[in-house]
Amino acid sequence: MATAGGSKWSLIRPFLVILLIHSLAIYLFTRGFLLTRTELASYSHCSDLTHSPCSSISYSRRRSNSTPPPDESPDELHQDRRCWTKPAVDRLVIIVLDALRQSFLSALPRLLSSFHKQIGRPNSDFLICFRLFDFVAPSTFFKDKKPWMDKLRVLQKLAAAEGSSARIFKAIADPPTTSLQRLKGLTTGGLPTFIDVGNSFGAPAIVEDNLIHQLVRNGKRVLMMGDDTWLQLFPDHFNTSYPYPSFNVKDLDTVDNGVIEHLLPSLYKEDWDVLIAHFLGVDHAGHIFGVDSAQMIQKLEQYNSILEEVVNVLKSQSGAGGLHENTFLIVMGDHGQTTNGDHGGGTAEEVETSLFAMSLQSPPASVSSVLDSSFCHADLDGRKLCIGIFEQLDFAVTISALLGIPFPFGSIGRVDPEIYALSAHTWEGRGTGTNDCQPSSDLAAWKQNYANALCINSWQVKRYIDLYSATSVIGLPIEDLNHVSQLYSQAQTNWSDTVSSSYLPMGTPDRIQDSEESPFQQQIDAYSDFLESVAKLARSAWTEFDGPLMGVGLSCMIVSLAIHLLAIRRLNILCKPYQNALSILGNYFGLVSPLLLVAIRAASFLSNSYILAEGSVANFLLATTGIIRLHPSISEWKLPTDELFFLILSTIIRFGIEIGMSKESSASTFLFTFSKNIFRINERDSLWTVLTDIFPIILLVVLAIMFYKFISGICCWPHLRYILYFGTVSSYVLIALHWASESNLMPISMFVQYTGRNFAPRVVYAIGFGLLVLSVLSRFMDSSRVKPTARMTVLSLALVSSWSPTILILLGRQGPFAVLIFISGAWFILKSRREGCIESTSRDLGASVIDPMPVIQWSFLAVCLFFYTGHWCTFDGLRYGAAFVGFDHFNIMRQGLLLAIDTFGVSHILPILSIPFIITLQLQNSKDNVAEGNTFLYLAQVFLIYGLITATTTTLTIICVTIQRRHLMVWGLFAPKYVFDAIGLLVTDALIFMASLYYY
Amino acid sequence: MDSGEITASKAVGLHFLCVVGLAAGYGIARVGCDLSLVTDPARTLRLLLVVEGPVIIGIYGWVRRDRGHCSYWKAVSRGLLGLPIGALLNAFGAIVLGAPVGLKYWLSTIYWSSLMSLFTFVPAVCVFGTSRTDWQRILAYSKPKEGIDCVISLPAQGAVIGAWLGAWPMPLDWERPWQEWPICVTYGAIAGYSVGMFASAVFVQLLRRKVHVKDD
Repeated sequence: MATAGGSKWSLIRPFLVILLIHSLAIYLFTRGFLLTRTELASYSHCSDLTHSPCSSISYSRRRSNSTPPPDESPDELHQDRRCWTKPAVDRLVIIVLDALRQSFLSALPRLLSSFHKQIGRPNSDFLICFRLFDFVAPSTFFKDKKPWMDKLRVLQKLAAAEGSSARIFKAIADPPTTSLQRLKGLTTGGLPTFIDVGNSFGAPAIVEDNLIHQLVRNGKRVLMMGDDTWLQLFPDHFNTSYPYPSFNVKDLDTVDNGVIEHLLPSLYKEDWDVLIAHFLGVDHAGHIFGVDSAQMIQKLEQYNSILEEVVNVLKSQSGAGGLHENTFLIVMGDHGQTTNGDHGGGTAEEVETSLFAMSLQSPPASVSSVLDSSFCHADLDGRKLCIGIFEQLDFAVTISALLGIPFPFGSIGRVDPEIYALSAHTWEGRGTGTNDCQPSSDLAAWKQNYANALCINSWQVKRYIDLYSATSVIGLPIEDLNHVSQLYSQAQTNWSDTVSSSYLPMGTPDRIQDSEESPFQQQIDAYSDFLESVAKLARSAWTEFDGPLMGVGLSCMIVSLAIHLLAIRRLNILCKPYQNALSILGNYFGLVSPLLLVAIRAASFLSNSYILAEGSVANFLLATTGIIRLHPSISEWKLPTDELFFLILSTIIRFGIEIGMSKESSASTFLFTFSKNIFRINERDSLWTVLTDIFPIILLVVLAIMFYKFISGICCWPHLRYILYFGTVSSYVLIALHWASESNLMPISMFVQYTGRNFAPRVVYAIGFGLLVLSVLSRFMDSSRVKPTARMTVLSLALVSSWSPTILILLGRQGPFAVLIFISGAWFILKSRREGCIESTSRDLGASVIDPMPVIQWSFLAVCLFFYTGHWCTFDGLRYGAAFVGFDHFNIMRQGLLLAIDTFGVSHILPILSIPFIITLQLQNSKDNVAEGNTFLYLAQVFLIYGLITATTTTLTIICVTIQRRHLMVWGLFAPKYVFDAIGLLVTDALIFMASLYYY
Repeated sequence: MDSGEITASKAVGLHFLCVVGLAAGYGIARVGCDLSLVTDPARTLRLLLVVEGPVIIGIYGWVRRDRGHCSYWKAVSRGLLGLPIGALLNAFGAIVLGAPVGLKYWLSTIYWSSLMSLFTFVPAVCVFGTSRTDWQRILAYSKPKEGIDCVISLPAQGAVIGAWLGAWPMPLDWERPWQEWPICVTYGAIAGYSVGMFASAVFVQLLRRKVHVKDD
């Protein structure tokens, strides 16, 4: 005891060191890998423009004065009916075809990378004409035409028609190419990253400034139909909405038919300004059947006919005074998909989608001089079809500029010249009242308008970048910021000159204004330069990995493994004086097979399939350990009862995991209502309802009895025992009350129902906290007369019983069963261990305590329970419902804590806190006093082994994420897995550190 | 010889016959009935079982222990009785490890576990019967002292480890038909069984040599 006490700090120190190194490693790796962006809660307002150097109204009147106008009265702005830019479009129809694939790349894989570098410059004459624009654009360049190419012929025809106001663009999305992130990116004009700091969990509603918000604020009525993701993002923005559930991937038609039902009638109505119709069929058809399938072709043909009808209706109403006189139609994909129908990553197939834009009012013929004609080729009918390049980043600001609303605050896009030029009204001269400065040529007028829009655009982007770098958690590199600021101030000086020169009373000769050298053209170029470098900077900060940081983080992790091993070795040496020899090497098989199993589990993370099937794989390994443990008993010709029970238990866990995985495959953000739905469906079946309601409560009683037995076993500190009794039993009663109040089994008065629903859980949390404080206090009680093992048993029992009610109530009805499984699994692990120990009492105990097998079984059991309780390693695998047990209102700290306890409760907190039982149950039986004195050494060793297992798997996860960072599923699968493992590791380390402080 | 000791040539011949039995079963399935493991696992496994079963029970009955008390037919009937028991144990193991259960799979599971029983349980039952000491020695597997131990336990261990390893492609998303239960597991088991038989043939040779050296 004296030795253990003296070396107390030397036993605890390794845990602290490991915790710190792991935190450092994960911090560094996360900074390099998980790109984070801070969401700013600032919004753009109409009146903001007065702070800009380029007011849309003032300069025409104040032609000799280029300084910003002092204060423009809002009334005047209102009278002018303009806000930031002059509205060029009255109504807007946006049709989103989810996962609309644009190009087919296998022919030119090498050109791909260089193409991406050139994306910034639309007029680079790069050989992209060979690229196959398969759904929308003709694909005559390739010999074998696939049946699913060129399916939206109606759009091609419109774009190819002579003098048309329609155009097809290749739209480049930014990864991650998942619908939710893309919609967010499209509407905010930013680059949503994997983790947007400030995101409220559970509700993915966009808190940043965005297009829809601006539309609503500026009196535009928005009509939405289709994918209900929009409603999750914008819960109360739409005037009217017809959402359809998007989570059933196998359902190709519900959303689409719903949209079709509402789309055409709505086109005849006047009660909207912006119509958004989101079709999902192609995405789902891709996910289920792949691109090359009959269902896909069917869907595309359906879209073609729908689009044809839409265009016909719009055209028929586009006459002067018609409903759609000045309507703008946009048909776009939110992201592409691979031929297998996957998306999420950053490959060209996924990021390339298309956008079709058409103005119902034709712009002047000189529009062709603005439109970029470098990517033209003949379509199937031999007409010339030109395809522009458009970046989705520019979408929000371009639409805002067309509609004349403030640009979203966080947008870093540029008003796209080609789409801006398609609208007829951007060709009108400004300041109709002041004819003296109106340039006579259309093109000059357009350039002036566009330069003005870009001026506002640049000012808004600069404002955002400045605020962002001032306030965000992780800022942008300073030298890049300086470069960008320099570009901006250059452009701005130019602007002052341009404005003052072009509004000299005499005017400038038109030909100068028309030519490339016109001051407005220079201005446009200067602003474009600035906006491009901002976009580049933003992309490097928000979409590119930082390789060196990731490498350093990974190295730290590997170093920590070495430290872990060294610490275990040091303990071995410390144990040595008390044991004559370590027979670990003698027990070669016993050491190698568990290590091999951990290695298999860790290596399995290198494949996405194994990550998906992680629960099954962990269970497979758990069962394998169980089968290996059968061997000693069988070879002694005894019936291995405990081991067989353990196997049966692992079979039960296995079925639980399989049920969980079937949920996962149909998962969506809707899932947290899924379990409720199950109960609702089963309400018809009364027997089943009774069972699902009563069974957990019965199990709860069983658990309470078990705890009672355990607590009764406490040999000392009677007062603590009574408090534990009381706390545990009362919280179990409250849990039962809570569940009873949720079920409709028996009529309960409103009061009881309310108490049960909200009051009971809070009391349970409070009791849990009280017990926790009590157990921490009881640590300081006089323990000189108590054997260390007995003290440890009492302490860990107190800790476990203080945590278990909270974890139980958060887990819901499955909780008692899961905890029961954990307790009995742990019991069987220990029991077979103990028997093995009894016969080896003559052998040195040191080696058998260090035997990693039970620790590994413990760890596998914990992993299995994580999956058994319906979690999995993605963010929709979080059980959001658990965060609201006992609370109706959202509070990020409180609900976050509850969610964390739910997620890590049964898989991290309970197993780690109950690790001491591995030691105590074993040592209690031994009469060996030396071993008794060594309790803490053993405990430290078991903790170290447990930590090492977690650290090893996490290291492999990190290596795998590093290798797979360009993988298709990186955002869908590997990154969430990394986040869960990293947090799990830190939780494990912290818990082990605290537990070691607590027990020593 | 009477104690059940097995000569090296006998062991090799015995394993050879087992391999021939398996190959014949698979050949009949492929050529005769136009079946393959991938297209129709249940019926192919059944055919393998029907062909290999008599071979294994017949051969191992022939090398039975304590011939004084146990006739050939007794050994054979022991083997026949052991087949379903071994199948039950194997099926339990498979289900514990994650073999799918359901109407679609239960026939395959039955035939697969019977085949595994032929590889693992039946030979031991045929040879040892219910002799406790022999079983304990085989299960503890401290060190093979006799050739017959190798002949029984090495192929059995090979089959189990092979089947365990054969499960690894199952979660992969390659969407190949052979990733279904129990096809790749059967391949793994057969491969492991063959390796085990090869190893056992080699070991029996080595053991014989050792014994000879000792005798000298």
